[in-house]
Amino acid sequence: MRSLGRRITPALLLLPGGAWLIAFFAIPMAFMLVISLQTGTFDTGYQLTWNFAIYPEVIAEYWDLYVRSFIFAILTTFITLAVGYPVAYFIAFRGGRFKNILLLLVILPFFVSFVIRTLNWRMILSDNGIVFGPLKDIGLLPPDFHFLATPASVVFGLTYNFLPFMILPLYVALEKIDRRLIEAATDLYASRATAFWRITFVLSLPGVFAGSLLVFIPAMGDFITAEVIGAGNPQVFMVGNIIQRKFLDSLDYPSASALAFVLVAAVMILIAIYARVVGSERLTS
Amino acid sequence: MRDLEQRSSIELAIDRYVRQDQLTRRAFIHRTGRGMLAVGALMTIPGILAACQSGGSESGIRWLNWPAYMDLSEDEASFPSIEAFIEASGIDVEYNEGLLDNADFLAQYSPDLRAGNNTAWDVMSPGGWVVERMVRNDWLEELDHSMLPNWTANCADYAKGLWFDPDNTHSVWYQGGITGIAYDPELTGREITKFDDLLDPEFSGRVGGFSDMRDMFGLTLLSLGVEPENATIEDVEAAQQKLLGAPEGQFRGFYGNEYYDALAAGDLAISVAWGGDVTQMNLYDNPNILFVVPETGGMRWNDNLIIPKGGANLEAAHQLIDYYYSVDAAAMLSSYVGYFSPVTGVDTRILEDAAAAREDGDTETADLLDTLAPTVVLTDEQSANTFTDKVMTEEEEAAWNDLFETVIGA
Amino acid sequence: MAATAQAQRKVPLGRRLSDLALPIFTAVLMIFLFAPIAVMIIFSFNDPAGRQNITWQGFTLRNYIDLWGRSQITTPMIVSLAIAALSTIVATAFGTMIALALTRYQFRGRGMTNLFIFIPMTAPEIILGASLLTLWVSFGVERGFFTILASHIMFCISFVVVTVRARLAGFNRSLEEAGMDLYANGWTTFWKVTFPIIFPGVLSAALLAFALSIDDYVITLFSAGSTVTFPLWVFGVSRLGIPPEVNVLGTLIFLLAVVFIVVQLGMQRRERRAAEARA
Repeated sequence: MRSLGRRITPALLLLPGGAWLIAFFAIPMAFMLVISLQTGTFDTGYQLTWNFAIYPEVIAEYWDLYVRSFIFAILTTFITLAVGYPVAYFIAFRGGRFKNILLLLVILPFFVSFVIRTLNWRMILSDNGIVFGPLKDIGLLPPDFHFLATPASVVFGLTYNFLPFMILPLYVALEKIDRRLIEAATDLYASRATAFWRITFVLSLPGVFAGSLLVFIPAMGDFITAEVIGAGNPQVFMVGNIIQRKFLDSLDYPSASALAFVLVAAVMILIAIYARVVGSERLTS
Repeated sequence: MRDLEQRSSIELAIDRYVRQDQLTRRAFIHRTGRGMLAVGALMTIPGILAACQSGGSESGIRWLNWPAYMDLSEDEASFPSIEAFIEASGIDVEYNEGLLDNADFLAQYSPDLRAGNNTAWDVMSPGGWVVERMVRNDWLEELDHSMLPNWTANCADYAKGLWFDPDNTHSVWYQGGITGIAYDPELTGREITKFDDLLDPEFSGRVGGFSDMRDMFGLTLLSLGVEPENATIEDVEAAQQKLLGAPEGQFRGFYGNEYYDALAAGDLAISVAWGGDVTQMNLYDNPNILFVVPETGGMRWNDNLIIPKGGANLEAAHQLIDYYYSVDAAAMLSSYVGYFSPVTGVDTRILEDAAAAREDGDTETADLLDTLAPTVVLTDEQSANTFTDKVMTEEEEAAWNDLFETVIGA
Repeated sequence: MAATAQAQRKVPLGRRLSDLALPIFTAVLMIFLFAPIAVMIIFSFNDPAGRQNITWQGFTLRNYIDLWGRSQITTPMIVSLAIAALSTIVATAFGTMIALALTRYQFRGRGMTNLFIFIPMTAPEIILGASLLTLWVSFGVERGFFTILASHIMFCISFVVVTVRARLAGFNRSLEEAGMDLYANGWTTFWKVTFPIIFPGVLSAALLAFALSIDDYVITLFSAGSTVTFPLWVFGVSRLGIPPEVNVLGTLIFLLAVVFIVVQLGMQRRERRAAEARA
């Protein structure tokens, strides 16, 4: 049996993207890695001192920020999954010829700048704005209630901005499920719910896997939501914020870089665990 | 048996794919693909052209400034003072409002400056502490004061001898302001006069702090009776403790520019603020907000005109800088931008313009200018009760920053 | 006739309600997704006296009319669209190829590559941006359109790979093999059999990449030089809140996409009728 494998070797497929990533990602990042091991100051310059000690130092000092970011990111992932799954399901199974249009609609708000979306949300959610004003007027909420500048609002902001990153992969996995399998299952299992969980959901797991990664990973490193929606409240200060701070304001490049690589390592470990738990071989090949 | 199953499933699949579903999908693919390529191709040329537009002309100069820091024409399509300069001097000026943040600015341009490259800008307007660093690292051209006659003639005393550049060898004042406290009397229920009012538990959750370390620590140090210029690390530790000791949830957040929205919308009752912003706010967005310099003192800051090293057009750059020290240009600028001008005589000129407008029958403009005139110069009283940042060593700055990080949440 | 009558079972009310639940939920979510967009469109017609655009002060078309000839505003939009279109095409192509390689073939270093493909997504943008800037300066590359493009392609590739892989999981190779029998050519088989099957994944990945690119701020800030992209411009003018012209541009982008959708719908209907006529 002839296989495509002999025609297009994997190397050729990997080459363009791989070369691009090496040139514009790996090399710059290697450079940053080296910086993390240097000592010095902005003015006097940095010397490579192999200062590995910086890693335990930053972890010891800022581990709570990693935990907080993790909590925000994992909450965001769960909520986007819970909210995005029904929508992806609807588009995939009931969308019919409007499937592509609905997909476009899902992602359409995100072609309009982040600033516009977020600042408008801030306006909508302001203390006495269009949502909370009336609620306070009729007494449903105490007059000093505020949503912005709280951890909940940051999770809200993250959820909103990463929703399409969950919906699209979910749709991709759901859409290719053979309907006849589900019909067969509904005949087998009397209830539609069981048919769903045992067949549809399981078959959509690659999408769940992809979507949760596409949401969790960037959410973990996010800094802008905490600044704009979270108003820079100390309770929402995330890893992304300290990295920004160290790099831009404190001009402490080694620390910023070390913090970044700790983040990368932490997320990679989490991904590895996640993949193992979910059985990624099945999901990705 | 399996073979049969396989074949039938293949046939079914192929059958499915040649039905309408596949037809429309393939058509969609082709159309989208072609569409994308078309858009891509179509857009590339204008895109590149548009991007290249920003290449400066040979005889012209390029100025990088903050947004909303230049007078604007009625139709908001041009900058009258710049136009006037171009006409009078014959030098083309490309004006760019891309300076959004002092820290970002430094991060963006330090690699080039460190490498000795041309930054592609002739004039820039960053804030004090950035200029301090640039001077230390020898990234700025020295100013030739013989080419700045207007500055010599018109520069107000309070704008000379900046704390990071006492002899104005590399920088001159562009616009300046005061960091103090702004509040809504309706929301606070009382008059605000002290820094400690920010820590009043009554305002819990509705107080705004600044994410700027120098401003925030500066005001706190003053409230402890310490002038920032002379603060020791122990003083800063005390300031840090004072801020950390605020009641839980006291500060709603530590803002950058966004405090403006929150204050105007009523999400904040009281906040650290920039005076010029409040003038704006009063004129346009929320007339209730009041600005006050704390009894213990406010912080004085300014943005500067500098010439980065490697610029090609030194003479033209000097001419542009000097132009903004003429009373004409300064008045044009100050009528629009609500901060302090470094030029003496600007307030009188604006009052003259107000009177002229009133004669023309334009009472609206006249009133506006009348209100504006006194606010564009730093009075002696304000000068006495406002203080400047400390010129720090790198170690000190690192230490202060470390202490501040815990305040904002690290 | 009798057969159809028999086939028509009575659908229980509960079932009908739960059938409705899904579309209603989706509709509500769409409203949620578009809430800030609705505000944007409404406020593009606002006539604010001052900088801030948060209270309704009167309807006007002035903002739209004033837009023409203001290249300061339209240029960043064109630049961003160009970069987004190009980086989407390239990143989707590169990323799809990588996804195919990773899911189809066993090769040495596959496990490592699998893991490494995630790293660009995990790295904080400020670090990526700043290190790229150092790269540009070290090699004396002038920052502008092409450096922005290069950086955008870079960070989009990983997202494309992850999305396309969700589609490739469990891909039935027998179709491809049948295709090989038919076409005897790997390239043709790919386009006629493989690609149509993975197309939803590729399309979704492209949409994501486009959204990522057109909205990027931090990395672009460091690679832009003096070129202004749409997000850079928006950040700049929104210092004190969103001015009307930003809302106007946003609304125009939105309208453009709506037009695109309507055209697609129209063409789809025509295709359908043509196919039906053929059958």
